[in-house]
Amino acid sequence: MIVCLLAFFWIVAILFTGIGTLNMEFLTTSALKGGAFEMIVGTFYLFLGAAGIAGPIGVFAAIYLVEYAPSGKLTRIIDQSINNLAGVPSIIIGLFGFTFFSRQLGFGVSLIAGWFTLALMILPIVIRGSEEALRIVPGSFKQAALALGATKWKSISLTTLIAAAPGIVTSVILGIARVAGETAAILFTSSVIITRGLPSSPFEPVMSLAFNMYIKIVARGEPPENVFGIALILFFIVLSFSLVAIILRVYYRRKQPWLH
Amino acid sequence: MSIDSKIDIRKLNIWFGEKHVIRDLDLKLRANAVTAIMGPSGCGKSTLLRAFNRMNDVIKSCKTTGDVLINGKTIYGNNTNVYDLRRQVGMVFQKPNPLPKSIYENIAFGPKIHKTAKGKSLDKVVEKSLRAAALWDEVHDRLTDSAFDLSGGQQQRLCIARALAVDPEVILMDEPCSALDPAATAKIEQLIRVLSTDYTVIIVTHNMQQASRVSDYTVFLYLGKIIEQGNTKDIFENPKHELTEQYITGEFG
Repeated sequence: MIVCLLAFFWIVAILFTGIGTLNMEFLTTSALKGGAFEMIVGTFYLFLGAAGIAGPIGVFAAIYLVEYAPSGKLTRIIDQSINNLAGVPSIIIGLFGFTFFSRQLGFGVSLIAGWFTLALMILPIVIRGSEEALRIVPGSFKQAALALGATKWKSISLTTLIAAAPGIVTSVILGIARVAGETAAILFTSSVIITRGLPSSPFEPVMSLAFNMYIKIVARGEPPENVFGIALILFFIVLSFSLVAIILRVYYRRKQPWLH
Repeated sequence: MSIDSKIDIRKLNIWFGEKHVIRDLDLKLRANAVTAIMGPSGCGKSTLLRAFNRMNDVIKSCKTTGDVLINGKTIYGNNTNVYDLRRQVGMVFQKPNPLPKSIYENIAFGPKIHKTAKGKSLDKVVEKSLRAAALWDEVHDRLTDSAFDLSGGQQQRLCIARALAVDPEVILMDEPCSALDPAATAKIEQLIRVLSTDYTVIIVTHNMQQASRVSDYTVFLYLGKIIEQGNTKDIFENPKHELTEQYITGEFG
């Protein structure tokens, strides 16, 4: 109890320290002049691109696994691999991204290398979440469409997929929340300490909030107080994504009478 | 039942895995009439019904031999288009299964996937189908509401209207009233009588009163075989087979 209270006050204290350093100027000023603009936008660039890659692949993978995959050894191996992927430490994912995307594919330290690396982390979340969303849709929808003469794909894409859409979107948002603050995966693949403005193409490196904190404290030995503001921004981004996911879920549960 | 047969079933056998569900079945079903398929649970009624629109194909372990002819043409041929077949042979399920869409979109679903109507002509198809299913007067002012806002009986009539919207010739009904209350059941039964003037209706039921009320012909199925078939009146008043009589008098079921 006392420990909890202490921890709570400690968090509140840190929050206030962070909020003190936050203002519109800090958010909109270039990093070259001591602001956080490129880090914030860069963070959005990173996770939006990664979600753009992992989202479609994850949803199609889930549709395949739920609706098409034969129950056999291969399917079980794929299934287990997805669980394993979800459990790989992010530093290993980052190292893989660096050797494969940055060096092997020649993307270098760039936004696009970061996208693919982060996509690997989002992928299992999207697949598992979408699978669950697809499985709770009653089979009667698909049956109804099939009986009207729809092909299998049409009956899935026009009924099951649409009914599962809120759950799928929620899983993508949760995936974003998972990687928005990710540091290790972008450490070698896409982030740099400072850029001149925003990257003008996916093949340029990018600044990000998490990486900036890491570098300031570890490489430059700055006191933690210097990054409280950045930490707070990141905290709010991640928190708001999780909140949106929860609100969406609750809202659509109510709008889906077949779940009751 | 030889002339005017809409559906002609020849030596039909259906297995689910090892289970032999339909055994060497020969049967002719009349056009523009209601045929009830009756029998105790597990006798293969629904499986037989689903052989007419090949919905058994969806089940992986299912194997079918023999033949089913509709309008004299096989539906189990190599070049049979099952999607056209299912347009031609509509189906209404045991539990009302509206799609998670508006009332309008439920009806429009079939015409849209088959690209048979759009715009104004689609509006007309929707109205015509809802009228034919005796639902128009109850829903015409709220077509954009969710289909789930309807009562169970209305949902089932919506499903009938949805099947009608793709202009079928045959309508299969798999115990369409088993999830409904008596008032809603009466409405559906009335509707089935009306539909039989334009469509060939085949209804699976284990409710004998229902079979006697709605059907012109009755087929009594037991363990995948036809025990007796004929005019509904004859079967109910004068069953020839002992099993039929036992079933009708409620000795087993």
